[in-house]
This record gives sequence, structure tokens and C-alpha cells, in this order.
Amino acid sequence: MAVFIQTVVAGILMGGIYALIGIGMTLIMGVMKIINLAHGQLMMVAMYITYVLYEYVHLDPYAALLITMPCLFVLGAVLQRYLLNPLIKVDSILPENQVLMTVGIGMVLTELARMIFHSDYKSVRPPYTSMSLYAGSIAFNLPMVIAFGIAVLLTIGLFLFLLKTDVGKSVRATAQNKEAALLLGVNAERITIFTYGLGAALVAAAGTLLLPIYYLFPDLGGAFTLKAFVITILGGLGSTVGAIVGGVVLGVSESLGATYISMALKDAVGMVIFLLVLIFLPGGLKRLTKI
Amino acid sequence: MKALRWQVAVIVAASIIFPLVIRSDYYQHVLILALMWVVIGSSWNLLAGYTGQVSFGHAIFFGIGAYTAGICATKVGMSAWWGMILGGPMAALIGFVIGWVCFRLRGPYFALATIAVGEIFRLVAVVWRSFTGGMQGILLIQSFRSKLPYYYLALFLALACIYAIHAVMRSKWGYYFIAIREDQDAAESMGVNAFRYKSLSLIVSAFFTGMAGAFYMNYMAFIDPEVVFSLHHISIMAILVGIIGGVGTLWGPPLGAFIMVLLQETFRSAFFGLAPRWVSELHVLVFGLLVIFVILYMANGIVGDWTKIQRLWSSKAGGGASAAGKGS
Amino acid sequence: MKKLLCVVLCLSLLGIFGGASAWAADTLRVGIILPITGAKAKFGEIEKLSFEMALKEINAAGGVNGKKLEFLFEDDTGRPEVARSAAEKLITKDKVLMLGGGYGSSETFAIAGVAQQNRIPFLVNTGSDDKITEQGWEYIFRLNPPVSEYPKALASFLTEVVKPKTAAILYENTNFGSSGSQEFKAICQRLGIQVVVEEGYEHGGVDFKPILVKVKDKNPDLVYMISYVMDASLLMRQAMELRIKPKLFVGGAAGFTLPEFPKNAGKAAEKVFSATLWYQTLKYPGAMDYYNKFVATYKKDTEYHGAEAYAAAYVIADVLKRAKSTSPDDIRKALSETDMMTVFGPVKFISYDKKTNQNRLPTYLVQWIDGRLELVWPKELATKPYVYPIDWDAVWK
Repeated sequence: MAVFIQTVVAGILMGGIYALIGIGMTLIMGVMKIINLAHGQLMMVAMYITYVLYEYVHLDPYAALLITMPCLFVLGAVLQRYLLNPLIKVDSILPENQVLMTVGIGMVLTELARMIFHSDYKSVRPPYTSMSLYAGSIAFNLPMVIAFGIAVLLTIGLFLFLLKTDVGKSVRATAQNKEAALLLGVNAERITIFTYGLGAALVAAAGTLLLPIYYLFPDLGGAFTLKAFVITILGGLGSTVGAIVGGVVLGVSESLGATYISMALKDAVGMVIFLLVLIFLPGGLKRLTKI
Repeated sequence: MKALRWQVAVIVAASIIFPLVIRSDYYQHVLILALMWVVIGSSWNLLAGYTGQVSFGHAIFFGIGAYTAGICATKVGMSAWWGMILGGPMAALIGFVIGWVCFRLRGPYFALATIAVGEIFRLVAVVWRSFTGGMQGILLIQSFRSKLPYYYLALFLALACIYAIHAVMRSKWGYYFIAIREDQDAAESMGVNAFRYKSLSLIVSAFFTGMAGAFYMNYMAFIDPEVVFSLHHISIMAILVGIIGGVGTLWGPPLGAFIMVLLQETFRSAFFGLAPRWVSELHVLVFGLLVIFVILYMANGIVGDWTKIQRLWSSKAGGGASAAGKGS
Repeated sequence: MKKLLCVVLCLSLLGIFGGASAWAADTLRVGIILPITGAKAKFGEIEKLSFEMALKEINAAGGVNGKKLEFLFEDDTGRPEVARSAAEKLITKDKVLMLGGGYGSSETFAIAGVAQQNRIPFLVNTGSDDKITEQGWEYIFRLNPPVSEYPKALASFLTEVVKPKTAAILYENTNFGSSGSQEFKAICQRLGIQVVVEEGYEHGGVDFKPILVKVKDKNPDLVYMISYVMDASLLMRQAMELRIKPKLFVGGAAGFTLPEFPKNAGKAAEKVFSATLWYQTLKYPGAMDYYNKFVATYKKDTEYHGAEAYAAAYVIADVLKRAKSTSPDDIRKALSETDMMTVFGPVKFISYDKKTNQNRLPTYLVQWIDGRLELVWPKELATKPYVYPIDWDAVWK
């Protein structure tokens, strides 16, 4: 029984991290219908910034959040403005050009990181890295609990932002129907730039919070991008609450799969869920609710 | 058309005498790899460029072909060369099943699904140690010491693949493929069975990619799941080859294959030893920049946007006169 | 037309560069293939620096019979197909006299296949899969012990001191981890230890709790892990968080002996054992010197991988000195007749069990004590007495 509870707890906490990664992507996919294959790489950039701040300025990662998020916002906005927006006007045989552009962006980001920092593993080890809270014999890793809390806060924040503010409403309008939004005076181009930036800022938060409990190397982007997709599709495009739910569902499924089936197939569990949702539940879990 | 035939004949002739002129094993190796990528890129292009189903999972078929050949040798006791005969059909069969499951998804969702399926295959190959050898891979001894047999086999495969695609696209199937690519719903409303033709496209595409995989097993003599089921090094590379060369064209992927392989080797060897060592670490960066550049300015690839390039060139060369050297 | 242009361009490019590799007749060129970039770059770097350090010394002492020795380094990026291309290039284009290096097992396999086929001698110094020297390939020689022998010292420690009844084996799903786990399982069966958990994992994972929870549940006496350094750190940290307290934790070398391990695992690295192939206090001539020289020159630590590379360089020089000519077969013969002492230990290639051209060396057990790696077994060679039994609550406070 203890095995089961600990596994589920581990899965939920991991789900918090996943959710953070997914929120940014669901926003980008929901609004701009862009499949952002550079998502994990953006997170990697944020992690390197966090690392540099920790190593050279001795800035705690939680404080670094206030720097990495704006930095990535800018980076995301720039990428969208100069590399992705122009593609909307380009005439080509395959509409998937945007996706492939993000592949190229991801490759360049990874290689630039490799050139600057080399391929070896970097890490930060603030004192609270391995601290755990205990409920009986069940361990709750402290940094992950905090990350989970921040994920919830960001989700609520984003939710309110989209619901209540003008910019947020413009974002939702553009997501629902771009042409109609244009007709109503929404500057769709600016909104897409803003949205990509926001998505990047959110995944920056994920990276900064992940760094203390993991480590850093140029190639880590790919695996996390894949997870982000699973969560986005699972939760439903554009659904902020869906991202949290999707993240937790993925985390718990992977955990249970690792414990009861095989650790080696842990990632396959996510992929299978991904396929099942794509095929049988196209709108994601969002379809089952109204949010 | 006649002019094109003449050029094709020259290219084919040049490729046939190439290894007899350039006797270095190393350069023959590079050309063999390029020819293999001609097959993979062209196959991907059939499904993605002509039929509009962008697959991010072509490594699946490559890996199946490679493992078919490898398992023939390790488990069944036959020579891995049987894989050249069995690998294609095996990949095509599994391709059909995958299509049956995934073709209900459109556009980017299909692409995502192929990523997932690809990863599943890779993980299963890693975990199913007793069947595939897991991460210890399959190691064989090459049958021939000289590269010539491999070169001509690869050349034959590449030419057969290009010809097959050419024949398919000229037939009725070709029209259906393009119709599906342009607007699947419109095509279906006109009576084209989208599922059937997408499957046919996938079967042919998977078949040749599987053959390339089986060839790889016989030539490189070592495979493991990370090598042949690799998302980055096989699936995405296939897409890059198609994009840079030109999707939806016959000669685009072959050109793309040569460019990618040569670029990769040129950088990895630091311009064959003439540049400082750190240059060798740049090749992926150059790929990435190339992709970004091509997608921004030449979205249909070098072959696809050839006329655009020509116009640009001739306008630079002072208008009027067709550009010397680059003219068609 | 465009295709023609392309092919013509290719041909001319290759034609020009085809002949570009002449070399001075009085340097002897040897190709060394290592992971200089990629996930294994850290180890590749230690080995490359060791090779270079040895090379400088060898050439300063007169080189090989008066001729300068030269190492051509090629990067296999940690992937076997790249290793294969690198080997081909070194052999056919650079016309090296022999090959050295070989870090990852898959890469080493690929290189060995090429070397054997081209009849060029290859001295492996790190690739550890047993099968590499079980193929009967006469051109392939291995300096380091195969992975099945890594836990030899551990085996005697277990039988004499610990006497565990149950064990858990956790390994990363790579060639090294896979083959290492199978070999250790065989050892367990021989020693009458029941393996209660045997789990592979994809390297690069974030959360190992699922697999560790299973270990905690089964409560084995011994936990044996085969990982590279980052996974090793995370495994130990999370084991500490879950308060898993077996009688001992043992690593199967690789990640567990690097200084990055305690740096990343902190308290969780303390009192963890590991198999190792070499330690600087061993009574091999020059062992301590090598260690001190390396630290002084490069300002960083070295360990058994570096020693393997350093020793390999000296073996290569010795072989080329003794070879009757620069033909591959004479070099091969000289290799097979090698009988010398290096900082890594004695080097003599023999055949035993299913292996050929394999150097046979003892292995050792080390333990992290107070943040430093100490040799603890065999007792006669220990730098500090082993700490066992272990009070985990005290260690992890």
C-alpha cells in the first residue's frame, strides 16, 4: 500500500512540473495553432540563464524566476516576430512549414548552447535540493512541492488573465477565430507575438524550477517537448486547467507504469496515452468539461 | 522533356563510373550514405510532399528494415542479405497498420502521432532484449571488404526508388495523391477514397525506407535502437532532406540528400582537415540555420523554388542574360 | 541541370581533397577515437588530456626510435555509426598505423568491426562489453578488463564481509548498463544471492522514485547500480529522500567514481561503494605521479579512464618501437607480444575463457568517505579501512 501511495505522490509532484511545461505550449498551440517543436529548447535556454545566475551572481533559482521569465518572453516574442509570423504569408506546398521552422529554431538554440557551455552536465545545488517533507513514511520532495504550488498559481493567474483582462480576451478571440478577431479590431499579429512570448515565459518558469532537482545539458529540450505535447493534447488545446490536469494525469500514469509495469517503458506509457487521446478523444479532457 | 532525359543519363553515367575513378574508401563511403538518404528522403517525400501527410516517424520503417535484416542473421540463422528482400515488405506491412490507426488524424496531429509511434518502437526495441539484443545491438561482419558492391547496390536502390516514384506520380495514383494533399475533403467528395490512397502512398514509402534500413544493416554491420529508430537522426533528417531539396518534386530529395550528407561530412571533418578543429562541431548548427533560411526564403526547397532562385540570380547578374553557369 | 551541377561540384570537391593527405615521412600516426562531444564528453575529455600528456612525454624522450609519434583524434560523438565513419576515415584517408581509444561499448564494437575487416590493429582502452574480445578477432586487443570482471573485488568483499542474501540491480538501458547488469546477476547467482529487483531505466530521467519505491518495498541487503554520473547522483539523492537503507549501496564504476558524483549528490554520495579499475595509490610505477601531474597540469581530477588512456599511449609507443616495420601485421605481432608495466598495471594480452587478446587485471573496491574516494578492498591495498556496517541515519543527518 505504501508503495502505491508513494508512487502516486511522486507522480502528482512530477505532474506539477509537467503542467508548467505544458501550460506554455497549450497557450501557443491553442492560440496560434503552431506546433512548437522548440518548446523544450526554450526551457533549456531559461535553465542556462538560471545556471549562470546561480554560478556567477549566486542568485537563488526562485529569485532568478523574475529574470528568466521576462528574458524568455522577449526571446519568444522576437522569434515569433521575425521567424514565425512571416511564414503565414509564405506560399508553399506544405502548410507544416511553421512546425519545421520551430525544428530549425530548436536545433540552432541547442547548438548555440553547446558552443557556449559544451556538452557536459551542469547543475545547481542549493541547500534545499534534497529536502523532503514526510507524512509518515511517504516523502514529498520540497522543491517539487513548491514547483507544484507555483504551477497552480500560474494557472490561476493565467486563467484570470485570459478571462478578465482586455489583452487576455483578445488572445482568446484570436484563438477562436482569427479573421473575426481582426474584423473586430484586434491586432492579430501583435497578439501572436505576445502569446508566443507568454508561452515562452511560462516554460521558462518550468525550467528554472526544474533545475535544482535535475541537471542541465544542451540536448535536454527534445524529451520535454514531447512531454509537453502529450499534456497539451491530453488536456485540450488552449485549456489552462487542462494543462494542470493533463500534467498530473501524465505524471501519475508514468509513475504507476514505471512501478507496476517497467521503469524502462515509462516513456512509452506517455506515448501510448498520447496516441489513445489523439485517436479517441480528439478534444482532450477539455471536451469532458466546459472550461 | 528530352533535355531532362539527357541530363538524367549523364548523372546516372557519372554515378556509375564514380567509384572506379575515385578509389578512396572514405569518399565512396560518403557517397553510399548520400545514396541511402536519397532513398529515405524520396520515400518520405512521396508520403509528405506528394500526398501531404507529413510523417515525423520515418525512422520506424528504417528501423524495421534494419532489424529484419539483423534478426535474420542473429535469430533465424539466415544471412542478413535476406533482409533486403524481407525488410521492405515488413516495413510496408507495419506501415499499413500504422496508417490504419493514424490516418484519421489530419495534418499536424498526424505528425505528432508518428512521433509517438516512433518513440514507442524505439523503446520496445530497447526493452525487448531477447529479440532485438536491446542496447547491445546487433553486430555482424560485412560480407564484402570492398565498397564497390555496396555502392552499386545503393545506387541501384536509389535509382529504382526514384523511378518508382516517378512512375507512381505519373499514374492515376499520382493525381489522387496530390488531390488529397491539396484538399482531402474535396477529393473525397469527388469519390477519391482518401484512406485507400493515403495507405498506398504510405506502403510504397515504407517499403523503400525499409529497404534502405536493411541495406544499412548489411553495410554498417552494427545497429542498435538509438541508431535506427532515432527521431533526430533519421526521422527529422529525412524531413530536412526533403525540405531543403524541395518537397513535392522528384529531384528535390535526391539533391537534398547529397547536400545534407556532404555538408555533414564536410563540417565533421573540418573541411577535410583544412579548417581548424572546432569547425567540426558546427555541422548541426549549420543544418539548423539552413533549415531556417530555406523555410523563410525558399519554402519549396532548392528544386521547388528553382525558378525563383534563377530569377534572383539573373537579376543580380545584370538582368537579361541568363546567368552563366547556373542556367538550366 | 541542377543535379548535374551538384554531382560535378561533388566530384571536383572530392577530387581536390582526395589527395590532400600527404604526411611527413618521419612521424608515426595513430588514430584515437573518443567521445569529444556528446553525452560522454566528460570522459572523452579526461582520456584525450591523458593521451596528450603521455604523448608529450613520449616525444620529449625521443619519440619512437627517433621518430615523432602523432595522435590523430576523431570525435565519435558517442554514437556508433559516427565511430564507424571516424575509423574508416582514419584508416583509409589518414592511413594511420593503428587505432586506439574506444570509450562506449557500442562505439568500440563498431570501430573494432572496421579495424578487423581492414586488418588494422586496434587497442581498446575503455570499451567494456565482454563480446568485444570474444569474437576471435586477431587485430583487436583490449587493455582494460571487460565489464564482467568489474565487480571481482566486490565479489570477494561480499563473500568475506557482507554476506548479503538479497540484491537489487538497477541499470541504465545502454550497452554498458545492460551487459553490466547481466554479468552482475550471474555473479549473484554464483554467490547464492537472490536478485529481488532487476530494473532498467532510460538514462536522463528526472524521477526515479517509482523504481526506488519498489526497491524500498523489497528491502534488499545490497543495491547495485550501473549508471553514468548524473543518473547516479539523482538515484542516490532520491534513495536518501525515500530513506532506503540497505546494508550497502554499490555502484558499478563509471558515474560513481567521478568527482561530479559527490558534487551533485551531496550527502547522498557518502559511504557509497563502487567497483573501480584503478586507483592512484596502487603500487604501479608512476601511478601517483600520473595523478599528480594531471591534477597540476589541468587543474582537475582524473580517475581510471584517464589512467587507461595514459597507459594505452605508452603501450602504443612501446609496440611501435618493437614492431619490425610499419606494416599492420608486424604491428599486430608486436602488440601480441606486449609484456610491460604501465601506470594502469601490467599489460599482457592473453586468451582465457572465450576471450582473446585480453589483458587480465584485478579490480578494486572504493568507497566515498568524508567526500573523498578511498580504496577500501582488497584490505592490503586500502588507503582507509572500509566503513561497514553503515548507520544511514547518522550519515544522512
